[in-house]
This record gives sequence, C-alpha cells and structure tokens, in this order.
Amino acid sequence: LTAASLLGRGLVAGDASGGALLSLKAFTFAHGVDPATGTVTDVRSDIRGANVKGKVLFYPFGKGSTTASSWFLEAVRLGNSPSAIVTEGVDLSAVIGSVMARVVYGREIPVVSGVSRADYSKISSGATVRVSSSKGGARVEA
Amino acid sequence: LHLDSSQEKLLRGEGGEAKQFAMEIVAEVGDAVAADSLVPIKSAHVLAHYSSLHDAGVEVLERFAASGGRFAVPTSVDPASIDLQNWRSFGIPEDYARQQFRLCDAYAKLGGMRCWTCVQYQVCNFPKQGETVAWAESSAVVFANSVLGCRSNKITAGMDVACAVLGLTPKFGMLNDENRVAGVAFKLSAGPLSDLDYRSLGFFIGRNAGSRVPVLEGLPGSVTSDEVKHLGAGAAAAGPVTMIHIPGITPGSKTTSAATGGEKVEEVEVSRSDLAAVEADLNQTNELPDLVAFGVPHLSVNELGQLGRLLEGRKLKRGVKMYVYTSGQAFEMAKKAGIAASIEASGARLTHSTDAEISPLRRLGFNVVMTNSAKLAEIVSSEGDIVVRYAAQKAIIEEVTG
Repeated sequence: LTAASLLGRGLVAGDASGGALLSLKAFTFAHGVDPATGTVTDVRSDIRGANVKGKVLFYPFGKGSTTASSWFLEAVRLGNSPSAIVTEGVDLSAVIGSVMARVVYGREIPVVSGVSRADYSKISSGATVRVSSSKGGARVEA
Repeated sequence: LHLDSSQEKLLRGEGGEAKQFAMEIVAEVGDAVAADSLVPIKSAHVLAHYSSLHDAGVEVLERFAASGGRFAVPTSVDPASIDLQNWRSFGIPEDYARQQFRLCDAYAKLGGMRCWTCVQYQVCNFPKQGETVAWAESSAVVFANSVLGCRSNKITAGMDVACAVLGLTPKFGMLNDENRVAGVAFKLSAGPLSDLDYRSLGFFIGRNAGSRVPVLEGLPGSVTSDEVKHLGAGAAAAGPVTMIHIPGITPGSKTTSAATGGEKVEEVEVSRSDLAAVEADLNQTNELPDLVAFGVPHLSVNELGQLGRLLEGRKLKRGVKMYVYTSGQAFEMAKKAGIAASIEASGARLTHSTDAEISPLRRLGFNVVMTNSAKLAEIVSSEGDIVVRYAAQKAIIEEVTG
C-alpha cells in the first residue's frame, strides 16, 4: 500500500526515486541553486538552504532567466542534480535541462508535470518518493 | 511529434553530426512538450555567457562548433559575462575570461552576429509581425510576443543553439493561437509612473499571473518602447510570463476583450500600494551601495542620453562605483554623440557587450548593489551573497553623487 499515488504527465521519461523536496513557490536553478553543491540559494525560495542532490524535487512553476537549463546541466555534470523533477505547470527549463543531461552526459532525470501543489503538498518532506515517467503517463508514489 | 522525411534524415545523421546532435535535443524536447511538428524560424537568439553556461555550456557549444555546426538562420547572442574589450580594467580574472572567450570563439565559428546584447530587437535582430522566432533571453521573448507580434517560446540554453543550427523549433506553447489568449486582466490605477514603477509593475504581474497569459490595462498612451522593455523584463524575472497583451500596443489586441477572446477572466487591480510592496520586497538594506548598476536589460542610446543629463555636474561619492550597461552598437553611438563623455565625467563607467546579472559581481568584490532593475534585483539577491537596494534612477543618483 502506498500512502499517496499521484498521476501526472510524463515529459521526460525515466524511473527514479529519492527523498521528497517540496517547494510551493516558483523555482529556478538560474542563480537559485549552486551547481557546485546542489544547495538552494534563492532568497525567495521556501526551501532555501536545502540540497537538491538525489532528491525528487517538486515545485509549481519555473520562473526567470532562460539560463536555468544550463545551471541545471552544470549541476548534472558535477553530480549534484535532483533525481527527478515534478511540477504543476510545464517548466521548459527543466525539460530542456533533463533532455540535455541525457544527450550530453547520458543521465536519466525524469520530468513530470500536471501534479498540483494541493496534491503534492500532502507528501511529507523527506519521504521516499518513486517516480515512473513515460510518454503514456507518469506516476508519483510516496 | 511528427518529423517529416528531411527531419528524419537529420536525426539519422545524414545532415552531419552537428545537426544530428541538434535534432536529438529538439525532437525530444518537442515530444516532451507535445508539439505535433517542427516549424521553420526566421531568426534565433542564443546564450553564450560563462556565468550561466558554466563549463557544461562551454562543452556543449564547442561540441556544436567542432562537429561542423553552422547557424541556419540569422542568429544574435545575449551579452557575455565580461566587457569583451575592456575586461582587464574591470578586474576580471584571467581564468574566467578564458572560459568566456572559448564561448565567443565557438559562437563565432557557428556564424552568429557578434552583437552581444539582450535587446537584440533594438540593435540587430528585426523580425516582423507574425513571424516565428526561437529566442532565448526571457525579457526579449516578452518583447517579441507582446510588442513585435512575433511568436516565440522562452527557448532556454542548449535548446537555443539546437534550434538555430536547424532553423527549426517545436510548434507548441506561444506558437499556437490558443495559448496566446489572455487568462487574467491586470487593471492599473497608480497615477503617474516613474522608471521604477514600470519595473515593479512588471514584477507584480510576473508574480501574480501564474501560468496564465496576462493582459494589462491602464498604461499611459505616452509609454515608450524602452519602458515596455523594462516592464517585460520585470515580469519575466518574477514568473513564467512570456507575453503581456497591452491594448493599443500588442498586434491583434486592440482591447482587453480582444486579448481574452471575449471571455470573462479574473481581474486584478494594481494600485500604488502594490508597487510599493514590490519595492519593499526587493529592497534588502539601507546601506550605501558599492556598486550602482543601470542597464539590465541594456539601455538604449536614448536612455543613455537621459542618464547623461541626470548625471550632469555630479560626481560619484568615494567608495561607490557606477556601471552603465549597453550594447556595443549603442556604446559607439553614445561615444560619437558625446553622451558617453557626459556619463563618464561623473566617474561612472559605460560598459558594453556584458551585463550586470551575468558578470561575476561577487568575485569582483561587490557586497551591496543598487539598481532600478527589478530583474537584476531578483537575480543578484537570489544567490544570497550580495544584498540589493532597489530605487528609481533619480533617487539613486541623488544619493550616490555629490
């Protein structure tokens, strides 16, 4: 039995798991996450100080600079990226960052959208989450 | 996503290694965003600055260049992380400059226009109404969709170069009519607007529109294209905004009703107190700044002229630097017109081909940055090392000059 099973849209396919890291505010990797450590630095983020490395990262929307995908890719290069990303709206930066991660570094980081804040905020922070994402659909289990 | 036979060939590598690499990226992103096809673009705008691309971005751009890639359409480029002519005099470390020049070399090999600006639509990249483009630089994308009447998604780093090499972009998001319909109406009644108010208003819209396309009512008829530029930059810095319908400016949106497709949408009043709340949020300190930065996005020649007049007869206080950021083209014109001299007589420095939010301000030793740019305030404060003061240009100049 799983405590929560949420359905979303699989944007980038893959299977991953990790501790849940939940943000309820618009999120960006650009100037917001230090790629050298994985630490969230954005002063306007509600998860400032947390580390994204190996986590299943939830946030509602992206924001800001179109450079976010390259910050994401640098975190991938240095081994400090999240293991999966789950959002409410489509964050193109996350999609592109994840596709680049596969094409350039052979890393699989599934990206799922269509999971609302109201739904994912029920997951306990740090709880182990499994993400299974494919073109047909995506499932997030906590 | 359906690829036609010529696109399939590129994916199989029949168009060479660079196009295959590009197609792998574009086709998978297109699939992810549920595009049904790839469509031709008229121009591209890409990123090639080291502060955001990092070493991973250098690897990617060099891979495109080394594998024989050439831009298939006219392509402009965002500012570099250093003043490409005068970087030494700004104290930029050699190792940092070296990585930026690797990006410059790869970009040049790909055949891009060497304009190094975030306001390419004021300098070198002039699409006409209705054209599809693939632009990076969030503020320029808002301008393209809202003012030029172009269609562009916010194409992010890596994908931007892939689209430019192919001359193609996935058809999704802002390329489709149904996604350009306004879903929230902002109604402004805040009295006369200062330079800061336009930035704060944009920021407020970016914060509150969510993923809906906004329409904005209540701007004065006298609003300039520079003011709309800063409005859009503030909006894109604060949220996922890629277009703002402005009745009277946005092609095809003569009225709010035309922007919403006749639908009734949520209305959000914007008053003076909302703009003040943005200011309070972006202001982190009352300390005297060690750097004042104007020009995020780049100032036009006209804006440089206004700044020169404000600085006339004034000298910067000891301990305060002022950097004024513009394009190389506007820089040359400002020099010829005597505007550069009027700015630099105050002790300020006019710098080009770079911009504040993508330069290594922390490594250069700055601790308190003061600006009238909501975008710069948002970005610089995000990293948490530098504190920001946010104020109108005139107020800043009065405080930091004697």
